[in-house]
Amino acid sequence: MSTLASRLRSWFRRTLGRPQLESEMETEIRFHVDAYTEDLERQGVSRSEAVRRARIEFGAIENTKEECREATGATLLENFLQDLRYGARSMRRAPGFTAVAVIALALGIGANAAIFSVVNAVLIRPLAYKDSDRLVTILNNGDGPVAVANYIDWRDQSQSFETMAAADYWSANLTGVDTPERLLGLKVTQNLLPMLGVQPLLGRLFVEGEDRVGAEHEVILSYKLWQRRFSSDPKIVGKTVLLDGNSYAIVGVMPRGFRFSPFWATRAEMWAPNAFGDRVYSRGNNSLRIFARLKDGVSLEQARAEIAGVTARLEHQFPGTNREVVVTPLKEKVVGKIETPLLVLLGAVGFVLLIACANVAHMLLAQATARQKEIAVRTALGARRFRMVRQFLTENLLLASLGGGVGLLLAIWGTRALVALSPANIPRLESVAIDGRVASFLLAVTGLTSVAFGLVPALQASAVNLSDTLKEGGRGASDGIRRNRLRSFLVASEFTLALILLIGAGLMIRSFLALRAVDPGFNPHNVLSMVVSVAGSKEAEPGRRAIFYRELLEKVRALPGVESAGGINHLPLAGDMWGWPFVIEGRPKPRPGESPSAVYRIATPGYLQAMRIPLLQGRDIAGADDVNAPGVVLINEEAARTYWPKENPIGKHIAFTNEPNPPVWLTVIGVTKDAKEGDWAVKPYPEVYLAAFQNREYLESMAGHFEYITLIARTSGDLGMLASTIKDTVWAIDRNLPVSEVITMDQVVDMANEQPRFEMLLLGVFAGVALVMAAVGMYGVMSYSISRRTHEIGIRVSLGASRSGILVLVLRQGLLLALAGSAVGIVGALLLARLMSKLLFGVPPTDPLTFVGVAVLMLIIALIASYIPARRATRVDPIVALRYE
Amino acid sequence: MDKQLELLQGTLDMLILKAVSLGPLHGYGILLRIQQISKDRLEIQQGSLYPALYRLEHQGWIASEWGESENKRKAKYYRLTAAGRRRLQTEAERWNRMADVIAGILGTSPEEV
Repeated sequence: MSTLASRLRSWFRRTLGRPQLESEMETEIRFHVDAYTEDLERQGVSRSEAVRRARIEFGAIENTKEECREATGATLLENFLQDLRYGARSMRRAPGFTAVAVIALALGIGANAAIFSVVNAVLIRPLAYKDSDRLVTILNNGDGPVAVANYIDWRDQSQSFETMAAADYWSANLTGVDTPERLLGLKVTQNLLPMLGVQPLLGRLFVEGEDRVGAEHEVILSYKLWQRRFSSDPKIVGKTVLLDGNSYAIVGVMPRGFRFSPFWATRAEMWAPNAFGDRVYSRGNNSLRIFARLKDGVSLEQARAEIAGVTARLEHQFPGTNREVVVTPLKEKVVGKIETPLLVLLGAVGFVLLIACANVAHMLLAQATARQKEIAVRTALGARRFRMVRQFLTENLLLASLGGGVGLLLAIWGTRALVALSPANIPRLESVAIDGRVASFLLAVTGLTSVAFGLVPALQASAVNLSDTLKEGGRGASDGIRRNRLRSFLVASEFTLALILLIGAGLMIRSFLALRAVDPGFNPHNVLSMVVSVAGSKEAEPGRRAIFYRELLEKVRALPGVESAGGINHLPLAGDMWGWPFVIEGRPKPRPGESPSAVYRIATPGYLQAMRIPLLQGRDIAGADDVNAPGVVLINEEAARTYWPKENPIGKHIAFTNEPNPPVWLTVIGVTKDAKEGDWAVKPYPEVYLAAFQNREYLESMAGHFEYITLIARTSGDLGMLASTIKDTVWAIDRNLPVSEVITMDQVVDMANEQPRFEMLLLGVFAGVALVMAAVGMYGVMSYSISRRTHEIGIRVSLGASRSGILVLVLRQGLLLALAGSAVGIVGALLLARLMSKLLFGVPPTDPLTFVGVAVLMLIIALIASYIPARRATRVDPIVALRYE
Repeated sequence: MDKQLELLQGTLDMLILKAVSLGPLHGYGILLRIQQISKDRLEIQQGSLYPALYRLEHQGWIASEWGESENKRKAKYYRLTAAGRRRLQTEAERWNRMADVIAGILGTSPEEV
């Protein structure tokens, strides 16, 4: 009957009593051998012969000891602990070696754990909805929104889905509070939130019938919004808020971790029912994103096939409305764009770890040579090879665990830095944490690492040639070709890996420089922008809106320091980007889906000037272009090139129209230079600017997306000061207008390049670490090799070899290794570059400058790393060197 | 000297128990006593004695304590425990029975089968 406590006690006694056992064993065996020696002497054997015979006849002492230990029930664990103690002792004896190895491993393991924790949070962990792998999105034109009538037909004509729901982007002004604010949210069909399977924290979800006109003024808040704007009021449910001047009842608050703000609406923080009203007949106004849950037992392929059938039928019936309808798993849609960069980064840190392993491996090899005598003696005394290998592996595990421990700290700090540095558009990053999966990954990596860097050195070290090693006084001949070849292989592979990484990083840097060199078509410096929303206020009244906008612009222009000011509906790069089809007067009616279309912007006079978008031809929109004047439009160069390739577009007429309404013709009055629109890396599409003060829809529509203006002001003064004076100017006219999204155009440009910068930065850091490690590895191998060749070099020098001859000899060895490694690396880099081509901009994946530049850099590093030890070699004094044994 | 016999597998434990049953001995003493009783006809690998001693002690059949040897040096003495005495008895009986059986088999003539 042994309780856990007594078992532990006995285990401790045995383990802690171990040093005593060892010394007793030692005494006992020595007594035996001495006693036998004395007996032999008494029989007349000479002293030295007696000692020799006593030793031989006793047999292998280490073996005996080992068997004794086993006989007393020394378990695997105890052996392990003994090895650990022994390992800790040898590590304490070589603190420099230990520190360098631990740092290298910690960098490798830490970087891996940090990147893996991001990959885990973003790519691996399922979305936080019930059975989230059954959720899909359905989009039109590959990636685009869907018209209401199509959604209803898809929903009613398909069998594959348990639920099919839809969401519209929604922004609304919160008024009737101290600081008005423009809030972003989604208008959803009633079935959407229940489909996600998340219960509200307070209140309830929408119930059936609430997404009908008249019943739709209800809202559910996200946890954050509830905290931020309603100070976490526990009795919030049932109260009302003013959104765009309408009273909405708060019916629920979602729990803290809940987010439903997918891809195109990443900042949504409230949800309201979507009342379609007359839109149920509309196949033209595409605005919905469709979310659906697959029925049990229905595969993605079956659902895709069914949707393909339904939409083919509808397309036949209503041409141009159901093209390229795509069913995508929701998670793929959410993480799709970030998957490749993250996997490239994960590969990069894997390389860093491999390089660290190679470094530690050849440090261990060098150390093993130094320990050869110890090993030989232990082997001679009967230690079995298996036991020696186990000893080494335990030491390695200890080393790797130390590295892993420090690496974990690095990873915790590193993930924080990653999250802080990362672009805002990486989804789900807020949930990055060191969880169980990351911890297991860390453990597995640590274990594998210890085998990766330690197994070969351990096998090599334990395979000593006894007589040679002991004869040569520790400078074994086994430090021969085989081990040198292994070391050379290690350092060459470090160069291979580092070169691949550096080329990857080099391509990213080149790509980033190319991105930054792109002319955005406007001048972003010293420009401030902010959104002023009139929705729900008296300024939104049809007669009042134009007057307000004009008054506001006048007052802003009069502010000190302001050089020019204008307004636009959607800010380039940061704002929404709508495409709109149009017709050109006098041209034959285009076939469905092939009509000309352009990015549709509505600008006030002064916008081009404030943004410094050059006007290439014609005139700018003027103050006189109002509702009473004939309609005018500006087009960009790309539109002129695309739609009037051989004509002068000025004076031509176009119309944005939904048949059967008669066309409202607009005259092209000017051509502007192309300015960036939605995506920095994408060449601008055809674009038009309509005159804000003559666009009735923009001045009168009560639809949310028409009820705000993005104010642009160029100043010679301080942008921060200007932001507050403009806000005061707005509030001097109407205290109830929310001012939001205050941002400088420089920030907008930075944000547009955030992800490539992030990727470049990380790859650059990892490549830098890899380069340093490879250089240290090269230096280590060369110094070691020279220390082993001191004797040989001494002979060469004494035979008349010149110092430069020695230098060349050593440098050649280093260069050859680097060349061999780099040659393989270039092949690997070509493969990597192909993988990375999606991430690159304006630079071919086989960019010769990067490839040649990095290869040259690597060779220079190799030269420097071998030059330092080589110089030491040339200073070898032949007398000392020849005596050096 | 006659050629020495190699020890049969598993018999060393029994010989050790027998040797210490005659009085406490240190490891070297046990070796000498076995050799003396066997008149040097058995070959015992000296190093193999100690794992056997540690095993027997671990099993509780012998016990050890530190004492002083004839030449005034510190030595570890082993003595038989009560359990060890019983063990020696059963082992010896088994060995004798086994020896009888084997001898009987080897002594069988063709006619007796």
